[in-house]
Amino acid sequence: MSDATGLKIAARDVDVFYGDHHAIKDVSVAIADRTVTAFIGPSGCGKSTFLRCLNRMNDTIDVCRVSGTIELDGEDIYDRRVDPVQLRARVGMVFQKPNPFPKSIFDNVAYGPRIHGLTRSRGELDEVVENALRRAALWDEVKDRLSAPGTGLSGGQQQRLCIARAVATAPEVLLMDEPCSALDPIATAQIEELIDELRGNFSVVIVTHSMQQAARVSQRTAFFHLGDLVEFGETGQIFTNPQDPRTESYITGRIG
Amino acid sequence: MTDIAGVRPPRLLTRDARTRRRNAAEFRFRLYGRVAVCIGVAALIVLLASVVANGVGAFRQTFLTLDLSLDAAELDPSGARDVAAMKKVTTIGYGRFLTRQLKAAIAERGIRIEGITDSDIAGMISKAAPAQVRDRVLADPGLIGRTVAFRLLANGRIDGYLKGRVTMKSARLDGNVSPAQLRLSDALRKDGMLAMAFNWGFITSADASELRPEAAGLGVAILGSAYMMIIVLFLALPIGVASSIYLEEFAPTNRWTDLIEVNISNLAAVPSIVFGILGLAIFINFAGLPQSAPIVGGLVLTLMTLPTIIIATRAALKSVPPSIRDAALGVGASKMQAIMHHVVPLAMPGVLTGAIIGLAQALGETAPLLLIGMVAFVRDFPAPPPEGFLDPATALPVQVYNFTQRADPAFAERASGAIIVLMVFLLAMNLVAILLRRRFERRW
Repeated sequence: MSDATGLKIAARDVDVFYGDHHAIKDVSVAIADRTVTAFIGPSGCGKSTFLRCLNRMNDTIDVCRVSGTIELDGEDIYDRRVDPVQLRARVGMVFQKPNPFPKSIFDNVAYGPRIHGLTRSRGELDEVVENALRRAALWDEVKDRLSAPGTGLSGGQQQRLCIARAVATAPEVLLMDEPCSALDPIATAQIEELIDELRGNFSVVIVTHSMQQAARVSQRTAFFHLGDLVEFGETGQIFTNPQDPRTESYITGRIG
Repeated sequence: MTDIAGVRPPRLLTRDARTRRRNAAEFRFRLYGRVAVCIGVAALIVLLASVVANGVGAFRQTFLTLDLSLDAAELDPSGARDVAAMKKVTTIGYGRFLTRQLKAAIAERGIRIEGITDSDIAGMISKAAPAQVRDRVLADPGLIGRTVAFRLLANGRIDGYLKGRVTMKSARLDGNVSPAQLRLSDALRKDGMLAMAFNWGFITSADASELRPEAAGLGVAILGSAYMMIIVLFLALPIGVASSIYLEEFAPTNRWTDLIEVNISNLAAVPSIVFGILGLAIFINFAGLPQSAPIVGGLVLTLMTLPTIIIATRAALKSVPPSIRDAALGVGASKMQAIMHHVVPLAMPGVLTGAIIGLAQALGETAPLLLIGMVAFVRDFPAPPPEGFLDPATALPVQVYNFTQRADPAFAERASGAIIVLMVFLLAMNLVAILLRRRFERRW
């Protein structure tokens, strides 16, 4: 892993097409290690599409084509020799709607370590699960009912379970696609606090259409509009002194 | 501006005409639904009641209990208790022996019936009874010389008299039974020699000829149907599930997969007799598999069941929310892991439902089996599997069809009885499916 200010992901001249639709136009972004980077922008601007390029989740969509280069620690993730499954073990993802597996809380978290063979014994697995749940600030709430179904938790707990599940695989980058859009304000605050803590170990990329959330949790912000990366910089600077008139219109509420 | 308030009723407590009309329409609609459900339930009840009423008699049978002194001079003339030599006494010999013993027993009990002849007395017992006694004696030659109680099948007409199908009036017009025989059976019944008992033979023995309906059973048909179900289960389920998973999750969408999809849907609608012709042409004429064999029936029914299983399985796979796939891929599972660990277990209840619908359809199917020779009259039981898959057998629905073709009214009762057995089979299969579904349906 590189140091706190190092470069984790470098995307250069990325274009994404859905069939004939040009969804992402020539986007270049540098994502630093151990920081939170927020992608903001109005609906349909391509921020989620771009996020899903970073762990090749777009591969599952037949009509989607990606060009340009995206490098993780200097290696092009779209190289033909790269196995997307191996990539996704290093670049984890949390989705918009909490989607725990219909299994026990323990099995949800243990799934990643199990399929990747990260632990050698049951004791080690227990430890990994506990750590992941502690990281996701869920341990104290579920430690007495690890065999209870994950789908029986509240929405916010489910989303934290999904974060624990992603964290348990020990990824280097955590992608979050509007992780709070289905949650109430209290659950949202918990997740935001959690994201801030996760920054100590991971590079986090979060897509959100709440500008306040971007301002609260991120150090760097990228503003997307109609498939273009309009502006990318320090979060404080984007929100206080935007360079582009479109950014200014968006953060002041005139578009979007 | 129109005055909307003017159209509204002035008060909440009175209903306006429009509301009344809407409520009436809603009431009528619910009534149609209830009537439809009632008609369906009534039809089912009538159907079940008539089948049970007609068929339940097949499970009771009239038996004649007789102490036979197995005379060595008659049944083993050589005296060596050598089975090969004893086989020289045919069922005809045993028949004469039985008639004499029965006559003696009647006389001994002091039963005297006006105008009864020797052939009347011989006709009291089933034509299958001599073989019944002979088989038992040949199996255990040690019985010879002793007096052994035998429970012999009574003639089908006598059985019919005890069940109320044959009456004194019908007997006068019937060449196969005389009123004297019926009076004799009344006397024997009073004596306790003639009685009804549960008819295990109906379930365990093979079919019997036109002349001995009382001996006809479903053993071969049940075995044949069971063998075919085993074949269908072990072929159609894996092939169907594997092809559904591939088509639903892995196959690219192009002209070929579209073509395959259309063809599967069409196959589901092909009349079953066409599959029978196919089986005859390919499995018997081309591949040279034996006629009447459960393996051929099983293969034909597999082909017939596949589209049903594939369609149901694909629908079940489709209904698994995509978020589960995303979740698995997001933690670095491969596509196969995502499908095998998460999608298939969630789709399992639907897959099982499809499989059971398919199997039930196959179990009740008659037409294709007629074409591959399973309609034959089979007396010999097929061997245990796997060799038995190649032995001739029949199937339950074909046996029902066979029974209904025969002239003796006793077979009508047996046809309904066979339907009951078929339905018990279906119920058992459904029960298994429900239990399995319960196990898999912990989807929380």
